[in-house]
Parts: sequence; C-alpha cells; structure tokens
Amino acid sequence: MQINVKILRFDPDKDKKQHWETYAVECQPSDRVLDVLNHIKWYIDPTLGFRRSCAHGICGSDAMLINGRNRLACKTLIRNVVTGNAGTITVEPIRGLKVEKDMVVDMEPFFDAYRSIMPYFIADGAPPAAEYLQSEHDAERMAHSSNCILCACCTTSCPIFWVNGSYIGPAAIVQAHRFIFDTRDGATQQRLNLMNQNTGVWRCRTAYNCTEACPRDIPITELIEEVKRAVMYQQA
Amino acid sequence: MYKGREGQWAFLLHRLSGLAILLYLLLHVISISMYMFGEATYMRVHHVYDLSVFRFGLILIAAGVMYHAMNGLRIILMDFTGFGVGIQRQAWYVVLLITVVWTLYVASMVIPRIMAGV
Repeated sequence: MQINVKILRFDPDKDKKQHWETYAVECQPSDRVLDVLNHIKWYIDPTLGFRRSCAHGICGSDAMLINGRNRLACKTLIRNVVTGNAGTITVEPIRGLKVEKDMVVDMEPFFDAYRSIMPYFIADGAPPAAEYLQSEHDAERMAHSSNCILCACCTTSCPIFWVNGSYIGPAAIVQAHRFIFDTRDGATQQRLNLMNQNTGVWRCRTAYNCTEACPRDIPITELIEEVKRAVMYQQA
Repeated sequence: MYKGREGQWAFLLHRLSGLAILLYLLLHVISISMYMFGEATYMRVHHVYDLSVFRFGLILIAAGVMYHAMNGLRIILMDFTGFGVGIQRQAWYVVLLITVVWTLYVASMVIPRIMAGV
C-alpha cells in the first residue's frame, strides 16, 4: 500500500519554526510506524532525526505524537493508524519538552523529575541476613507501576504538564508509586512528602490522557489516585 | 489538537465552566455592591441585565453550574474510590446527560419569557 507520512520537521540550524513535510512511502499494513520512518531516513531523506534503540517497545526511545496521540513508533502498526490506500499519518514530536531536532526532544526535564522522586530502594535499618522477602500479594501492589519503561508518552500527553513544566508528571508519580507501595522500602514517609509538594500529585486533574497513552497499559491515573489517597490518609 | 478521550474533555469543560462561574460571581458581587451608591445606580445597572443577551447568558450559566457540580461529584468519586476511576467514562456521559436535561429545562423556562418581553 502507498501512504503519505506527514512529519513535523525542525532543523535548529536552518529553521526558525517547525514545518510540515510529507513523504510518500510504500509499505505493508503490518509494518510499524518505525519501519516507515526508517525507510524515509534510509532511502528518502537522511536528515530526518528521531530516537530509536531496541525497536521492540522496551527501551522507550521512540515515543512520538502519531495521528494526534502519543505512542511508541515501534509498537504502532500502520493498519491501526491508516485506513485504506493513500491514507495519511501525521508524526510530531512529543509535547511539553523542547524540540532539539525533528522528533528529538530535550528529555532532561523529564529525567530531572524522575530523579527527584528518589527512584531507588532505601533500606530501613540493617539489611536482613538473606533476601528482602515480599509476599506475592504485596508484590501485586506494585505490579503495574514496575512496568514503566520511562518513554514519556504519559507525561507529554498531560495537559497540565504542557502548561506547567514544574509538575513532575505522571511518569515520575508512577515511579514513586512503585517504591511507596513496595513493602520492603523504608522511605515511604519521605516519598509521600515529596508527592505532597506543590509540584507533586495534586497537580493531577485526572484528564486520563496518560492512561490512554501508556504503551505498557499501566492504569496510570488509578495509580496517581492511589498515591493521592496515601498522601491524604497519612496526614489524617 | 491532541486526540484525548472523554477524560480530557471532561477536564477542559470543568475548567471552562469553573472560569465562567467565577466571572459570573464577580459580576454578581460588583452589581449587588452598586447599592452603595444608592438605589438609582443599582437599578440602572440591573436594567442592563434585562437585555436578551444577558438572559440568554443565564441559560449558559445554569448549564455551567450544573456541569461543574455534577462533574465535581464524578471527581470526588474518582479521588476517593478505585471504582470511580473504573467508571469515569460512563460517569461523564451521565454528567453530560444531566447537564443537557437541566439546560433544556432552564431554556424552556427562560426563552418564552425573553420572547414575551417580560
């Protein structure tokens, strides 16, 4: 099938602002958007810039705004975004982060938020003689939040994050959830206090864009609401 | 335009209706306080509100208040229970339904009066 790929391009050396460019590409319905982008880069326009690494939905490098929704280019099939022959797909960089070139955005603010929630295990007292034990039931509490691959699909789909970059965003809260509801972690209080700051969970206005965007099917809004309740009940 | 689903529009409408209610409240407080300058001033200001455009606006305000109140209940349900999060989409359609029915009722009360000029 033949499709048109409309890409929002930006070259900091030449362009003052972003502009659309359209490429006609021959592809299969079973191809992924990433395959199409690779085709454009390798055979049509080598100046096209985008990140990709594993290409199997685990590294989280190729989050893009495809047909108006945040998705991973490597997990999105052409047949799910184009209907019929000569259809068009649009590809834009994710929003709310500074565009450096084409689909490449500055991820530093995103990772700053991630680092700010202390994304590491903090022991409470002396370590046990053997492993830190956890029941299956307790592990279930953090099953969803430990699935996050930090692709930024959620954070850059959030209307609050678009206008308020100081909000740590859904991804950082999901990461915090992973440690807050880890029964082995000893810094729950400290983590909840971080979440209670004015850049934390209370910025969430439950627009659910994050939940819809997550390529790992994490029920993000639900997890954020759990953190909100945990913050509230610890103060009661 | 980001193609968000129900939640995004629920959020946007909640913001807009909240803003509309705030503006209405400010206007209301300022109008009422005109009594400080005597009854004549107060009445002069309030006669302006008899214009059709203001009376029609009343229907929109009624719609905004009902939407904001009902969606507020939806948000409370979501904030306090996982159940609420699970049914947020359906709950929003219920909110819209109630808002539409209420708005039609208010319109049916207000529009004939505008037409009759009373």
